[in-house]
Amino acid sequence: MARMSRRAFLSRSAATALAVSGGVLLSACGNRDETGAAPGAAGPQLASPDNPVTWPVPADAGRIADGLEPEQGGTLRIYNWAEYLYKKVAQDFEKKYKKYDVKVQISTYGNMDEAVAKLRGGQVAFDLLFPTYDYLGKLVQGNFLRPLNHSYIPNIEQVWPAFQNPWYDQGWNYSVPYTIYTTGIAWRVDKVKDDIAAMANPYEALWDTRYRGKVGILDDYREGIGMTLLKNGITDLNTGNQDHLNLARDQLVELAKAVRPRVNTNDYIDLPESKTWITQAWSGDMVNAQYYMPKGQSADVMRYWFPSDGKGPVNSDLIVLLRTGKSPVLGHLFMNHLLDYDVAVENMSWNGYQPPQNKLNPSELVSQELLPKNLETATVLPSYFDTGYRYLELPGEVDDRWHAAWQEFKAGA
Amino acid sequence: MATRAAPPTDRPPGDAGPPLPHGRGARRVYARAGAWRPRWFWPAFAAPGMAWLVVLFLLPFYVVLAIAFGAVDPLFRTPVPVWNPVQWNPFQFQLLFDRVFGPDGFLGPAFVRTFIFVAAASALCLLLAYPVAYYVTRYAGRRKGLLLVALLAPFWISYMMRMLAWVNLLESDGMVNRLLVGVGLLGEPFPWLAGQPVTVTLGLVYGYIPYMVLALYAGLDRVDQRLLEAARDLGASRRRTFLLVTLPLSRQAILAGLVVTALPMFGDYFTNDLLSGSPRTSMVGNLVNDAIASPGQGGQAAALVLVMIALLAAPMLGYIRSTGQASREAGR
Repeated sequence: MARMSRRAFLSRSAATALAVSGGVLLSACGNRDETGAAPGAAGPQLASPDNPVTWPVPADAGRIADGLEPEQGGTLRIYNWAEYLYKKVAQDFEKKYKKYDVKVQISTYGNMDEAVAKLRGGQVAFDLLFPTYDYLGKLVQGNFLRPLNHSYIPNIEQVWPAFQNPWYDQGWNYSVPYTIYTTGIAWRVDKVKDDIAAMANPYEALWDTRYRGKVGILDDYREGIGMTLLKNGITDLNTGNQDHLNLARDQLVELAKAVRPRVNTNDYIDLPESKTWITQAWSGDMVNAQYYMPKGQSADVMRYWFPSDGKGPVNSDLIVLLRTGKSPVLGHLFMNHLLDYDVAVENMSWNGYQPPQNKLNPSELVSQELLPKNLETATVLPSYFDTGYRYLELPGEVDDRWHAAWQEFKAGA
Repeated sequence: MATRAAPPTDRPPGDAGPPLPHGRGARRVYARAGAWRPRWFWPAFAAPGMAWLVVLFLLPFYVVLAIAFGAVDPLFRTPVPVWNPVQWNPFQFQLLFDRVFGPDGFLGPAFVRTFIFVAAASALCLLLAYPVAYYVTRYAGRRKGLLLVALLAPFWISYMMRMLAWVNLLESDGMVNRLLVGVGLLGEPFPWLAGQPVTVTLGLVYGYIPYMVLALYAGLDRVDQRLLEAARDLGASRRRTFLLVTLPLSRQAILAGLVVTALPMFGDYFTNDLLSGSPRTSMVGNLVNDAIASPGQGGQAAALVLVMIALLAAPMLGYIRSTGQASREAGR
């Protein structure tokens, strides 16, 4: 359940994005914002691969000094999506720093809004947060983050080079990468006779009335609309073009009428349980789905499609250090811990989400038994981050129009 | 008022006097004796209820108002309540109005659907619950208590669990389909869970029918048996007695039952989420739930809630008026 809510909000939050670093946008939200107690926001631009952003590091931002000892008897308070971190990984960390009598405490949230609401309330001094990258600007802008001291995180060397200087956080002043995933289509070969992956336009299969009542759509406005845009060959998944949004809206409304889809984020449960036969899905969820197969049934009936040319939605999650945390040294050390190859792989064996580790050869995920053979396509390749499409922060006004289109679909208009 | 203003009892304070009467007559005297308690004494009994109402209803209600007429945090897209009514902005209501009645009024169907589902489910509840309640009050005899307990039994299990149980029963290869196919009523399994309005409606009936039974039972149990006997003595058939005496006398109970079942149904969203999950059966409750979960849409959620309250206030006021009238008639 937890995982589903986590995923549900990945791109939902993506869209919440505001032009933290973009000057243009605030006026767009005009009539509703004028009375709002708005934190002073107004930066230059939205982060995107074509428009990398370096977040400022003010002198008083609280970056810790080099070479500090871990907090003696300290508690590392982690605030994370539910079921997104293997407990054993945290216990290993406690053992590693046993002589400092360290404790790791994990609290969870169901979506980024909930998390931010709690952070803004400020009652709990969390050290680490696991946001989606589109939320980073807001967190920086809202003064929630403590800049990183790289000397504590040598393991950054272990992640893909692109993540050592990502476009959303040039110089990784505030974040390290956590997991990566794609969005595609999953289906059951024992129920769906067509080879979805071989279709000219696999997205069209979700509109196929032969699967009425057995189609799953992710309850996520970015993913749902984005998938429909891709079906129509529109690859700007952050479009503000109203014609494109109208097209996606109309086709989604049509989909709701034609196949009565299940709209939720239970893709990893519904497919193994045959509640759906074909569903929009996240790669990591499909890796998990094998564990939800009813007893006595083999998971090898499941397949996952992501465009073989890598032209599909691809995204990543981060780890950031919160300014309110009482154990910033432990926070750094835990980041470093999670970036260690062995720890990262152990974590993936539990949560199903691939870490961008250099040593983790994508072509060996199957032989390492991190992926079943039939779901090999759920592998995330480094090249996808060059070819794939990302859900970026949207200006508030554009975001509202995306929401309106999605609301129309959800309302069963 | 009348009792408090009544003259003090027939004995001055401090005068022990002869013992007060016991038995049937005693209650009246003690009631009048309340007059020499401090004026705040009896109203104070309402204080916990009033505090409850203020803290858990009126204040939250004001928060909803402040959000519906409020602003949005431009950075985090969370609703920002505006407490001062002078600064309230009706933007959310204009937007909602456009979305319901405008040229692209995509929320209209969900409103219509909700009213249809709730009307059908309430009517079914009434049809099913009335005979049950009637039987329990008139014919259950000594087993009345047992039957009532049995009727209340579903309350012991959470609504969510009961709905999840139905999800299993209604699967393609679930018990319901196997039974219906087995006895030849269906040629092939019916996709109950694939966005079927009928499933959602039946789910609502199943979920809320105990409230209806209880309301009807409470009403029917109070019907004076002597009136029924009188009707029969005067030559009315059983059927006419029911139609001319029992049914009119249970009108208040029927209204109460409809109110207690229909009102929560209007706000229901998880029945649809669990038994359908398809936009095809989205109800207003789902719209509210979706809006709350969407950044920047908190104001829409609040506006939807307020519009629903306004819509439901009409039948509610009608009910209050009707009960008031009924009690006046009874008092005459």
